[in-house]
Amino acid sequence: MDYLLHTLVVAVIYSAFAVSLNLELGFTGLYNFGHVAFFGIGAYTSALLSLAGFPAAASLFLGMGASGAAGALIAVPALRLTGDYFGIATLAFGEMIRLFFLNERWLTKGPMGLPGIPRPFGIHGGVAGLPFYLLLSAVLGAGVFLLAYRLTRSPFGRALKVVREDEYVAQALGKNVLSLKVRIVAMGSLMAGLAGALYGHYITYISPSDFTLNETILVLLCVVLGGRGTQWGPVLGAFLVIFFQEFLRFLPLPVEFGRVVAPLQGMVYGAALILLMLKRPEGLLPEYRV
Amino acid sequence: MIQVEKVSKSFGGLMAVCDVSLDLGTVPITGLVGPNGSGKTTLFHMITGFYPLDKGRIRFCNEEISGRAPHEISRRGVVRTFQHTRVLPFLSTRENLLSAAPNQRGERLSSLFFKPRAVKEEEKRHWARAEEILSLIHLAPLAEELSGRLSYGQQKLLELGRVLMAQPKMILLDEPTAGINPTLIRRLIEILKELTRKGVQVFLIEHNMPLVAEICDRVFVMDSGNLIFSGTPAEAVRDAGVIEAYLGRETRAS
Amino acid sequence: MWGEGEVSTYYAQLLLNGVIAGSVYALFAVGLTMVYGVFRFINFAHGELIAWGAYLTLLFSQVLPFSAAVAPALGLTLILGISQDRYVYSPLRRRSRITLLIASIGLSYFLRNALRLVWGSDLQTYGFEAWRGLSFGDLNITRIQLAMVAAALLFLGFLYGLLKFTMLGKSLRAAADNMELAEIMGIDMKRVGMTVWTLSALFAGAGGILIGLDTNLEPMMGLTNLIKSFAAVLLGGAGNVWGALLGGLFIGVAENLGVAFFSPGYKDAVSFALIVLLLLFRPAGLFGILGGVR
Repeated sequence: MDYLLHTLVVAVIYSAFAVSLNLELGFTGLYNFGHVAFFGIGAYTSALLSLAGFPAAASLFLGMGASGAAGALIAVPALRLTGDYFGIATLAFGEMIRLFFLNERWLTKGPMGLPGIPRPFGIHGGVAGLPFYLLLSAVLGAGVFLLAYRLTRSPFGRALKVVREDEYVAQALGKNVLSLKVRIVAMGSLMAGLAGALYGHYITYISPSDFTLNETILVLLCVVLGGRGTQWGPVLGAFLVIFFQEFLRFLPLPVEFGRVVAPLQGMVYGAALILLMLKRPEGLLPEYRV
Repeated sequence: MIQVEKVSKSFGGLMAVCDVSLDLGTVPITGLVGPNGSGKTTLFHMITGFYPLDKGRIRFCNEEISGRAPHEISRRGVVRTFQHTRVLPFLSTRENLLSAAPNQRGERLSSLFFKPRAVKEEEKRHWARAEEILSLIHLAPLAEELSGRLSYGQQKLLELGRVLMAQPKMILLDEPTAGINPTLIRRLIEILKELTRKGVQVFLIEHNMPLVAEICDRVFVMDSGNLIFSGTPAEAVRDAGVIEAYLGRETRAS
Repeated sequence: MWGEGEVSTYYAQLLLNGVIAGSVYALFAVGLTMVYGVFRFINFAHGELIAWGAYLTLLFSQVLPFSAAVAPALGLTLILGISQDRYVYSPLRRRSRITLLIASIGLSYFLRNALRLVWGSDLQTYGFEAWRGLSFGDLNITRIQLAMVAAALLFLGFLYGLLKFTMLGKSLRAAADNMELAEIMGIDMKRVGMTVWTLSALFAGAGGILIGLDTNLEPMMGLTNLIKSFAAVLLGGAGNVWGALLGGLFIGVAENLGVAFFSPGYKDAVSFALIVLLLLFRPAGLFGILGGVR
């Protein structure tokens, strides 16, 4: 039962993370492969602030803000790049942020990481606090979802789709493409930062190895599997992927197999991405009936 | 309302548009013709901000627009179509139209969150306008269809509908009748004439000469990047330079 | 603290190390840029060909003498490279670049984890003892480093000959310039494609072995070297073979000289930073014209 609760918490957090990526990738056509950087900035900012004495609840939102600001800052230069070059630049950016977390020991304690992150609202660590943390995550996650919903089911969302489909037409119709993109990256980074901060306060110990390419692949899979450009797609994708991941951990495997699980999992995720691109690129919940 | 002054544009070593000046004045429908590769579409790109000018200036309603971003020029009322249809294939016909409404409140985040009712009211008005335009372009039964599924001719009409939705002061049409059947051409002409009655200016690139002769009040002819003629269509057909530009090329090639 | 001559020797040594590392990076980059030149996408799994080449040699060297182990290792790497195209990239040829990019990221992740499955996460090494090196004046160069440069020169020289003097090479250049036109002109695109993937895989695998001679093998080596290759490709202008070569040298030198100025932990960041800077300010590269195998 506890394990189920744990899985649900992680699934909810990743849903928020995936929803935020989908805003950029699915709706606007921005292939942000460095999105995990904002997850990490939110986590580290919130952790550092709360470890320094700020109330954890406030740190959560400050972490979110820091992430959003970072997103807005990066967006302006980066968004001048097209399609796959933007993807590669953001991937490189994501790795650079991880290297920053790793090397700036005076701030982040480097590979040692930050242990003992307090939970907000006095929620207990460990098993006792699980149901409450699930409630907190669900509430904040729902907030993220509703925000994304409002953004996408609106003229703003429609304008994003126009940008995604054809930037020239968007400009010819009077849309300020750069401004739209910067705004959505700021929003997406904000949400990813909140998800990251939630994650940090849940796990109570973060280190640079929590924010690597693996997490990028994971969240990308959530979005691509669930269905790009839909509201529920990333949520579905996140639940499927996280439940699969936690299920594997839960399986009573003999000790020798322990070493094998992680790479096998990685192979499954990699293969899943390939197969999705080959067979069903729109994902499980298609945006429009083809 | 558009004044083009001595504009030039080259790519690499190639002079695509060479020292072209023209003034559209208040002429309702003006045509831009010339053999392929004469620089017509390039000129359109320059007027609408998609290509920067190497030299010269462009003014609209006495305000300088050269050097401005395409979306700013569009917002000032200069709306264009493209040479090959560019509907948004994965949006429905109606959504294509709705996306063209100018200055949408709902695209501003502050309004979206703090003035939801105003946004809703505006959307309703846009929907009503879109309905009108849908019946004008005879695409009402296909309103919910993905625009990528429409026929080529229907897409061209949709593009025109999109332009109308944008409430332009001036429209630039790049080969609006290419590839569509005579009935649709008639419909298009009706719509254009209706527009000019409302005070909208039309500037169009065309290869369909009888059409140009029928609807254009004035025509400019370009060849190899240069403006070689300005006058009525009737005069253009008789002009030696124009004839040479179109026919001379063929005889030289053979 | 140091004498005048010692400082310049220090930098000269760093420069030399940089050129040696750079010659191998050049091999990687050339393979990557050739695929881009003809097929117009970045093969993320290129890095894994580097890693698999190195690890397969490790495998075979346990039953064969090292120089004999190289052949089957490269052969298998070649098959791997061609399979990438056959099973993943060819079917996706007509799709958007983004679909290809995601598929290649997925493929690279798959291959990297497969490697980890077989060999685990620990560092491995070919186990050569440090041979006595040679000295030129105050500069040192090990036998292994010499071998690296020699091998790299060999491969690159072969490529030069191929591109310049053979029909196949000319077809390659034509295809890189304009694929559709090349097809219409009757150039056999299947053969061109096969050639490009073969060369790309060979260069990657061979480069991986060379790098493995000088450093340790670890599962992330594919990704790390991919980033360097990509930086080199960008520097030289995507699709420009000789640009990629120069780019590889530049990266090698920049990395090695760079450690004189900043912490070695950031050595890999040199490539990242270059990538980001180039993409922002000069996506066509320093030497580059976009497109085409020159």
